Amino acid sequence: MSRRSRAAVARPAGGDRTLTSVLGLVLVVAAVLALLVGAGVLGTFRAQRPVIDPLVVSWVAGHATAARWIALGVGVLLFVVGLWWTLRSLRPEPRPDVSLSEIPGERLTVEHSAICDAVRHDAETINGVSRARVRLVGSPQRPALRIALTLVEGTDVRDVWADLDGRVLARAREAFSVSALPTAVRLELDATSAPTPARVE
Amino acid sequence: MRLLLRVLAPLLALALAVVGLAIVVETVTLWVAPSSSPLLVPWPSWRTAAEALTWQSGAVRGTAIGVGVVGLLVLLLGLAARRHDVYLADPVPEVTVTTSPRSLARAVGHEVRSHEDVVSASVVASAKKITVKASTLDPAEEVRTAVRDRVEELLGRLPLARRPKVAVSVTTTKGVK
Repeated sequence: MSRRSRAAVARPAGGDRTLTSVLGLVLVVAAVLALLVGAGVLGTFRAQRPVIDPLVVSWVAGHATAARWIALGVGVLLFVVGLWWTLRSLRPEPRPDVSLSEIPGERLTVEHSAICDAVRHDAETINGVSRARVRLVGSPQRPALRIALTLVEGTDVRDVWADLDGRVLARAREAFSVSALPTAVRLELDATSAPTPARVE
Repeated sequence: MRLLLRVLAPLLALALAVVGLAIVVETVTLWVAPSSSPLLVPWPSWRTAAEALTWQSGAVRGTAIGVGVVGLLVLLLGLAARRHDVYLADPVPEVTVTTSPRSLARAVGHEVRSHEDVVSASVVASAKKITVKASTLDPAEEVRTAVRDRVEELLGRLPLARRPKVAVSVTTTKGVK
């Protein structure tokens, strides 16, 4: 299992998870701090002080320009982080075309759909596979295949593997003229009781 | 959890952006044209309301508890939204093969129900453990051994990366055979 094939298993959600966890942690810490101050852990006098502290108010009144710049900075930071995060998590996963040659004058790229259709046709001819879905993920320079295979009830997974690697992936590797093509295969076991009829083209 | 994260993450991000934008807009308005402040957010009235509050006030505590609960849920969502893929042993180094817990449970379920003495069965599967609950009209212990053997045999055929533990419980139900 290579790192790239493992990364191709599903759309990565690490960024979303990290940012969500950090946001949650900030909220929890702020709430706990407020409760601790209110309970008098940081001093009984502190607990009786107003939430909008006169010391802070007088500082802001004395340094109006600085306070405004700080507020602007915080606002811009929140806005930029929020917008970047929104775009990042709404952006669809790329479907890269594959560049086979970058030499000027001989540039050659293969379209995403052409590759996927070819691999899908090949995969659906495997004995025991009733349906295949194929897409490429990653960058044009470092693509990886993601294949989802729906298997007929009672199919031996090892036979499917042997066919997949020996025939389908071997052909894809040959077409890309690479020695290794990172691939993530998703198997739906025992999904249908009989193979679906051949697709009508 | 994964789906919830997919929906909630952009919303949380958008909320952050909106809060940031509101702060910028209000600050600039206060600075450039103080007469038209507040422009969008009625923050002076919030400030008047908050001025009477101390850290001990019920409203402050209530808000803190609310924020804390929401924060905890968001934190748990971030931590819990991991994938539950079941990994199979890799046929070749650059290929990763996975299946879903549901699909594994379906395969085990078919196998268990194909035993003629099993009346009904339910299966829950994860990468670590497979739990089978079956009912039969025959003595439970014999069927239990047979069902366990079947599941173990199926797992022998499936090249899983790590073999899950198997827990089988069989109950005898009343009925006519």
